[in-house]
Amino acid sequence: MAQKNIVAKFKDEGKLLKALTRLKENKVNLIDVYGPFANHDILKLLTRESRLPYMSVIFGLAAIVLTFGFLYYTSVIDYPISYGGKPIFSFPPMVVVIFFICILVTTIMTVLTFHARAKIFPGKPSSPIDPSVTDDTFFLVLDQNYNPEEIKGWLQEDGADEVTEKEI
Amino acid sequence: MIASSIRWPMVTGDKSSQDITNELLAPNETKPALWWYIGMTLGTIFLAYGAWAFYMSIAVGIGTWGLTNSVAWGWDIINFVWWIGIGHAGTAFTIFFLVFRQKWGASINRTAEAMTVFAVLCAALFPLLHMGRPWMAFFIMPYPNTRLLWVNFNSPLFWDVLAISTYLLMSITLWYFGMIPDLATMRDRAKNKVSRAVYGFFSMGWNGSMISFNRHETLTKILGGLAAPLVISVHTIVALDFAVSILPGWHATILPPYFFVGAIFSGFAMVLTIMILMRKAFKISDFITTQHLDSIAKVLKYGSMVIGLAYAIEIFIAWYSGVDYEIYTFFNARATGTFSTAFWIMVFCNAIAPQIFWFKKARRNIAILFAVSIIINIGMWFERYIIMISSLAQDFLPSSWTAYSPTLVDIGIYVGTFGIFICGMLLFIRYIPIIAINEIKAFRKDSN
Repeated sequence: MAQKNIVAKFKDEGKLLKALTRLKENKVNLIDVYGPFANHDILKLLTRESRLPYMSVIFGLAAIVLTFGFLYYTSVIDYPISYGGKPIFSFPPMVVVIFFICILVTTIMTVLTFHARAKIFPGKPSSPIDPSVTDDTFFLVLDQNYNPEEIKGWLQEDGADEVTEKEI
Repeated sequence: MIASSIRWPMVTGDKSSQDITNELLAPNETKPALWWYIGMTLGTIFLAYGAWAFYMSIAVGIGTWGLTNSVAWGWDIINFVWWIGIGHAGTAFTIFFLVFRQKWGASINRTAEAMTVFAVLCAALFPLLHMGRPWMAFFIMPYPNTRLLWVNFNSPLFWDVLAISTYLLMSITLWYFGMIPDLATMRDRAKNKVSRAVYGFFSMGWNGSMISFNRHETLTKILGGLAAPLVISVHTIVALDFAVSILPGWHATILPPYFFVGAIFSGFAMVLTIMILMRKAFKISDFITTQHLDSIAKVLKYGSMVIGLAYAIEIFIAWYSGVDYEIYTFFNARATGTFSTAFWIMVFCNAIAPQIFWFKKARRNIAILFAVSIIINIGMWFERYIIMISSLAQDFLPSSWTAYSPTLVDIGIYVGTFGIFICGMLLFIRYIPIIAINEIKAFRKDSN
């Protein structure tokens, strides 16, 4: 039998924040918060900093090295042409090409990493916890904890509009 | 009224999240008004004229254009630069507001980005057709081929291809990823199966998870950070198409920054035009307040001064260089000769008219704002005309001097791009939320 989670509904994110703070202080296992927009206070309490920027730096550096290698191979080794007596290996114009390819590759690879990590992609079936989650309501989802009744009490005390148990 | 203690209220009317959703999705969820159908009809007529011109350019060849041996770049490149300039504002809006933490951009960035995407598409059409055989356009891509050739990596024309394709991809990515949470809102409110399926497909199964929001925000910041230097470099590259040549009037180091400022300037003017029209059409003045328009007008005033300074510097440097050809181009051909009418229209529209925005009353008068935004776009077109035609038509050898005038095919392609732009924007406002709903909600709370 699938496990049931405690789901608390909040219309007011101020109250949600209060509840979230209390749950964090009491080391309650949280799963996620679903809501219509990103609230930075909730994000700070719930999530850690994304590591996506580190991946972007790696992609960017790889793109720089590979593009330079490609340009060197094509312009110096495979097909060296002298344009108006200019040197075969001319770094300054390469910078422009490297710059654009770096941005292009980093953009594509970062987006793909986002898809892979967040597990979202075009055509993915949607299963919102409630249709109002993309409108004006927040839902706090908690894992099974040793003291569910006490947690429900806290949530109601902190102003949850509704506390239920649901399979997520 | 919801207001930050240090800023002007950016969303007026004390709205709940649900009010915001209802008001901002109204244009998508109600039947379009008569003006929408009139606009689409007009856009389709423009498209039909453009399609004929496109057909002529391919079936007969670019001999149908008004180009000559001397003026080998004419309306096509003028309009390319004009559109790409307009295409700068959208991404510039998003990224500079992101970088400078300016939240008032939240009301404008979605539409500005849509404008960017359609403007860059219009711009890309011109060099593509100018190749003469657009079906051979892939020749410019560096790939191992049977001709055993590589492209010339040192050419600004190749850089242009890279810059514009990267910019188009980046603009579409920023635009699309920004709207995912709003597409999910539309999916959850869809009243029929087709809408639910289409919005469901494009909203990528978005469920409002804060963990996903965290990654989504990080991705947006990374894309913004990558797009910032890209925006600056794209128009720099377009300027280098001219600046690396030796023609008088083109061969100047000021061209890249001058082009960049001109691009932002014309793009912001077009944003102002569109925002005023949308504000009027959809009654969304609580989200796009007069203060938003006032702020855009201030940017235009500043841009106008920079543009005016660039014009003055160009003329000064031409005189200071002591080069007869440069002096002739600026003092004779442009300021007092064959192209003087276009030159002074340019100066008036870009450097003088926007100075009216020194007055607060003008910045808050919708009629003046609208008129000046149109004047700037006309002026920026003339700027590109002056740069392109005056330098090419009267260069070093008087024996090669020629007159230039566009043909019906030239005009048709330009009109056709207006068709793409008008139809694209109308479809956008019909099917996609015109303002970033989730950002407005978040920002409304942040500023409360």
